[in-house]
Amino acid sequence: MSDYDVVVVGAGNGGLTSALRLAKSGLSVLLLERHNVPGGCATSFIRGRFEFEVALHQLSGMGLEEFPGPLRGMLNELGVIDKLDFVQMGNLYRVVVPGSLDVCLKADRMAATATLKEKYPDQAEKVDGFFNLLYEYCTQWISVAMMRDPEASREKYPTYFKYNLKSTQDVFDEFFKDPQLPAILGIYWSYMGLPPSQLTFGLFAVTLWAYIEFKPWHLKGGSQALSNTLLDAFLDAGGEVRFNCGAQKINVAAGAVTGVVTEHGDEISTKCVVSNAAATTTYTDLIDPDLVPEQYMREMGTRTVGTSFVTLFMGLDCEPGDVGIEQATNFILADMDAERAYKKTKTLEAPEYTLLTCYDVDDPEFSPEGACQVSVVALAYADPWMAIPPTQYFDTKMAYADKMIELVSRVFPDLRSHIEEIDVATPLTHMRYLGHPGGAAYGFDQHAKDTSLFTKRKSPIKGLFHAGAWSGSGGGFQPTLMSGDQAARKIVRTING
Amino acid sequence: MNKENINTQIDGYSDIQQEIAVLEKYALDRGVERGQVKQTIDWLHPKTLNLRISEIREETDSTKTFRLVSRDKYLPPFQAGQYINLFVEVDGVRTSRPYSISSSPLQLGYYDMTVRRVDDGFVSSYLLDAVNAGDTFQSTSPAGQFYYNPLFHGNDLVFIAGGSGITPFMSMIRDVVDRDLDRRIKLIYGNRSSNDIIFNKRIEKRTTRHSNLSMHTVISEPEAGYDGLTGFITAELIDELAGDVNGKMFYVCGPEAMYTFVLGELDKLNIPKRRVRVEVFGPPSDATCQPGWPEDVSAADSFQVKLKGKADIQARAGEPLMNSLERAGFVIEASCRSGECSLCRTKLISGKVFHPQGVKLRKSDRTYGYIHPCMAYPLTDLEISI
Repeated sequence: MSDYDVVVVGAGNGGLTSALRLAKSGLSVLLLERHNVPGGCATSFIRGRFEFEVALHQLSGMGLEEFPGPLRGMLNELGVIDKLDFVQMGNLYRVVVPGSLDVCLKADRMAATATLKEKYPDQAEKVDGFFNLLYEYCTQWISVAMMRDPEASREKYPTYFKYNLKSTQDVFDEFFKDPQLPAILGIYWSYMGLPPSQLTFGLFAVTLWAYIEFKPWHLKGGSQALSNTLLDAFLDAGGEVRFNCGAQKINVAAGAVTGVVTEHGDEISTKCVVSNAAATTTYTDLIDPDLVPEQYMREMGTRTVGTSFVTLFMGLDCEPGDVGIEQATNFILADMDAERAYKKTKTLEAPEYTLLTCYDVDDPEFSPEGACQVSVVALAYADPWMAIPPTQYFDTKMAYADKMIELVSRVFPDLRSHIEEIDVATPLTHMRYLGHPGGAAYGFDQHAKDTSLFTKRKSPIKGLFHAGAWSGSGGGFQPTLMSGDQAARKIVRTING
Repeated sequence: MNKENINTQIDGYSDIQQEIAVLEKYALDRGVERGQVKQTIDWLHPKTLNLRISEIREETDSTKTFRLVSRDKYLPPFQAGQYINLFVEVDGVRTSRPYSISSSPLQLGYYDMTVRRVDDGFVSSYLLDAVNAGDTFQSTSPAGQFYYNPLFHGNDLVFIAGGSGITPFMSMIRDVVDRDLDRRIKLIYGNRSSNDIIFNKRIEKRTTRHSNLSMHTVISEPEAGYDGLTGFITAELIDELAGDVNGKMFYVCGPEAMYTFVLGELDKLNIPKRRVRVEVFGPPSDATCQPGWPEDVSAADSFQVKLKGKADIQARAGEPLMNSLERAGFVIEASCRSGECSLCRTKLISGKVFHPQGVKLRKSDRTYGYIHPCMAYPLTDLEISI
């Protein structure tokens, strides 16, 4: 008899949804979390009078009550939807290249295309053409990949077969000669961590389409409210959690999970583990790599660890409007060249792509009265940060943050003079709190070869399952939350025969 | 036809299969990355420091500096102004206290920790009376938010210190002076008597050599014949000493009573919140005097606290729950012991506690009944999960 039916390692998004689903299915579940608070990236911290949102910018997959998206459906099934207070964000995003372009799109196909056609009348036809392709692709993708049409064929779904693995840049090139429209329409490449030339149209199209159809959302209390709610429901369903208690080891014998050893040395027997830790951590630190089949290690050795972030968390002593902030989601770019911006993410040079989010625009109660919260994010790989001598780290971090403030100040010049609190997180901060190699927030890079078309999700160890960005789901809130639920369903099916 | 077969017909599929085959042939062995994350983080933020006292120096009649060296051959870098939480065992009770580092962040051979005797201080008395060079301790690595931030603090700094609140400032002064930074520091330092002034000579010596540093000591209970500044650190005094307050950053660190007073005085000068930095300070000396404390509970009231699945203990209303836990032998994670860092975050299953103003609880932690035991006072019988 095992101590628990399932041990879930890590209370990130995927860990939480899998733990909850498993507990609700009547299994005995122990959730281990090395930190003192649930959520992983989905968390908050307090400085002065501000509670800073760590990671959530635009929640995807929610949809409206009358037209629910997949995430709303899942949260509903898990019984937590009524405990959360979601806030619909007014716009899709604003893109600004100071001196060159400034466009704000609504999360609505008609309105967005109208804005673009008004701004770029000579390219009106191209805009329509691009959106037609986007929607056609996504419709066909639903039939083939989601609904699994048994009669799927190239003839029936030509757009899906032609465009799935094409690079996003190639598709832009089919439509647009100038860089403006790709810069505006392609901005969500940064949510996937690869530039348009390296990002498949399949991944990109579904992201843009889903944000438009299901709208971007946030929630009261930020992502910590979601994490706390999932954990509370898990406890209500009879689950057990241990905080400040990471897993030290996953015991494996004869190719199957036999238990978990905690960082405090407690041995827990179980035949099933959901790892919400990084894939590499799971198979090199938690499990003795010699016990992992060589082919699986080899496959993992072909991957590259994905991007992390530098984030500035700023508490301002004024209303958003006082510094000119009118949109929640502002992409502020030094220039339109996404490829160049991506190259900079592997250096410590001034970042050229930033996302500035002001949560108070859509939720005036987010910060105390008369104040607002702004976060500025740039994609950043960990490698150059790992090479900094520890004594130089603080100054390097601050110098980098200073460059980010310089860039966003080109759009909001008074920002700096209203800073009441500021903190800076780097790839090393993410590494510290998530325990992931490279501080990677989206798991492995999602090149074409790393997409679910080519990767095997099944673990070679019997009884081991994965949840979170490293499981092959890709990064971001919706994918990680849903990956945990999926893993749990698989387990329930396995255990119930 | 199954899904996999179908997908092989996607344009470009076979090219990628070939790419994968080549990559697998020359794949990286991820085994080499074993332990890398922990190693990287341990250079910056090791979880625990193993320390030894190398020297003890007497600063004043009531204050000593303890020089701490590493037993692991490495002390991580810190920002001038940060603290370590020192774990101690006093009379069989394992507890901890945060102390600011007073030495310069430019050298990492040691951390100096300067401790003044607190009236009835459980830990300070132990450190001052019972600890000797050679004794060993553990602590957290340096933490805290009370440090210079180059992104918005500017170059004109006014340090307002009271008593032992000088310790983080000593580190900041050493940092600026040692690096010859272009920052102007005006230190206003309040003490009860001139004998209490810590680091008087050390700072004075630096003011004579560095024109960007000045110190004004203010004595509240001057002895006969004292001819320096006397009284409290009032708005008038700050105004007179600091000059034009525009663009200056005010840092405040001192005992509880001084905060209430000085922050009120800064308010009179219309200094915006964003230009004031306040170091956290531990539990109030008398929680029952805090705004919001219920009338029907007195400090001496004792409540039963059920530690789910572990034990039942007694806890006094007038004392932080964490202290009662420690006295009963239950040590939970702690760092700031001021309600700020959230390391001790604990689930309250039933009952009611009092958190003084300024305890930094997340909104949704409030909703779901989490408390920070280092600054939570029991008002009823409780059940918690630790």
